[in-house]
Amino acid sequence: MTIDFQQVQAQVQELGKSASEKQAEKSRKLEQARELLQAYAQEAETLRQKVQSVNDPSLRCALPTDPEIAQPEALNANHPLPELPKAATLLAADGSQINLDRHAEVEYSLVNVGAIKMRLGEVSPPTTYLQCQLFYEEQLDHQTDAILALSRDLKERAMLVELAADATPPVITLTDGPVELWGMPGVSPEETSAYQKSLDEYLEVLHGLYRLGVITAGYVDKPAANLVVRLLEIAGAKPTDLANLRNYRPLRGVGDRHLFRDILQPGERSAIFELQSSASRHYLDHLRLHFFYLNVGREDRPWLARIEAPAWVALDAIKLDMLHAVLIDQCRILGARPYPYLLHRAHETARVSLEERDQVTNMIVLELRRQGISIEGSSNKQFAKDQPGRTRL
Amino acid sequence: MTEIEIGRLLRANTAGFVVGCRVNQLEAPSFGSLVRVPQEDRYEIYGLIHDIHIDDDGLVRQLVTADGVNETIIADNRLNRNVPLEISVLAVGYQSQGRIFHLLPPRPPLSLDVIYLCTQAELSRFVSAGRFGYFRHILRARDIPIGELLAAHLQQAQAAQTAFGAPGWADAATQELIILLRDDYPTLMTVLSALGDTAVGGVA
Repeated sequence: MTIDFQQVQAQVQELGKSASEKQAEKSRKLEQARELLQAYAQEAETLRQKVQSVNDPSLRCALPTDPEIAQPEALNANHPLPELPKAATLLAADGSQINLDRHAEVEYSLVNVGAIKMRLGEVSPPTTYLQCQLFYEEQLDHQTDAILALSRDLKERAMLVELAADATPPVITLTDGPVELWGMPGVSPEETSAYQKSLDEYLEVLHGLYRLGVITAGYVDKPAANLVVRLLEIAGAKPTDLANLRNYRPLRGVGDRHLFRDILQPGERSAIFELQSSASRHYLDHLRLHFFYLNVGREDRPWLARIEAPAWVALDAIKLDMLHAVLIDQCRILGARPYPYLLHRAHETARVSLEERDQVTNMIVLELRRQGISIEGSSNKQFAKDQPGRTRL
Repeated sequence: MTEIEIGRLLRANTAGFVVGCRVNQLEAPSFGSLVRVPQEDRYEIYGLIHDIHIDDDGLVRQLVTADGVNETIIADNRLNRNVPLEISVLAVGYQSQGRIFHLLPPRPPLSLDVIYLCTQAELSRFVSAGRFGYFRHILRARDIPIGELLAAHLQQAQAAQTAFGAPGWADAATQELIILLRDDYPTLMTVLSALGDTAVGGVA
């Protein structure tokens, strides 16, 4: 059977009916959020203390920067586009993977990491790099999609350290997504252990970038986070609300990007915030994670990105300005749909297509047959799915 | 003799073939150039380039919307990215056992065969063989700019023939075209007009 569009149509109509009402409610909440941002713009220190007084390790929100390390910026500040550095080495990495498929002809997984290096201020074409690792046999024991994704993320960053070590400074490295290693500790003992191992290695990689003096950042396109909005909720919360913070969500539905899109002009960045999350305890001292919002769009067409960077970058004015300027320059290369050019190229370099996956499978099948090993073949379920004729998701 | 490799075969049929090449290989071949595809046993297929096609892709479409594209990005796209660049070739003859025939090749070249640009000596040798028999492949071709292709080819062939002691070749070739197109006035006018722009074969 295919989709019953009659059924879907009725639900789509329901969606449409409630949309305008929800939109009006969201606008009202957004206005509230703006007022709170304005009201608490200069209250960075008080807010930081208020957030830290909440005894909830799972709390995820923005935190005004630590006044003992750097003078906090006004929360509603907008910082103009700095001058582009005359010379710098830009590095970007991205990864792609073939997940283990128990129904496939042979069992394996693969991580493919692509990186690209470009010298700012030089005409020579960028250089691309590829690292590919196949996992098979006992390497697949307890391997889940999440563990493989962690392995991919780790390899992306490790490749950047490797390339940065040989690059001419100043070096700026970019990855897609947050700098905070994304994992699901606790889903299973294997995943918890893999996450811990990856995290330890990852922190070592970050230390490596720090030792090299590299300006490193993660680029989050169209961010869905409400970290600053959550901070504003806490700002406006009464002591009774703080006691029940998990359910206290007066600004639910408002995202940070909605809040900043009217504040930031094209090319401008927001204030720097520290990231308060359950993982913060792992990122200490110069690794403490910070972020800011950046309007990479054009006049009348704002487009917000969230940039994550560790303390040694975010709290260093010179490094921060270089990162800011380079990101805007990179995004402008892609014209009407701004996104860092090098990140796109790293993605393009790393991407594994379905055809390539089939080729790798065939290579393994042929090699095993050459060694006289019989292949069990794909599962009957997969065989039935692969039959020609009807195609469906 | 330096061989100029211009790319590898993507697809083919008896009447023609399409060659894929990198952007940095594009400097040598030009519209109207004679190319050859060596096969086994002294068998070689000849063709004339009648189209050079550069496809776009999503990224290129996006890049053109930017205010300016800097040299590094242009170099990256031309040298590093797999930008499709195709050269279409019209089959005009073949060589077998050292003899050139202005007939369609008995079998087309195969995928990934290497395509070379013909040297002036090879071009001179090909056009001197027989009595312009390969013109009929050009005149029969549909959806290609026949007049422009003939003009470009005659210009290159005349230069080769002059270098190899046959300066009157273009006049003879033009006469032959007039004879072949005597019943097709519109095409004859198109061809003569294009030849006039090249000032070869006494047409000006």
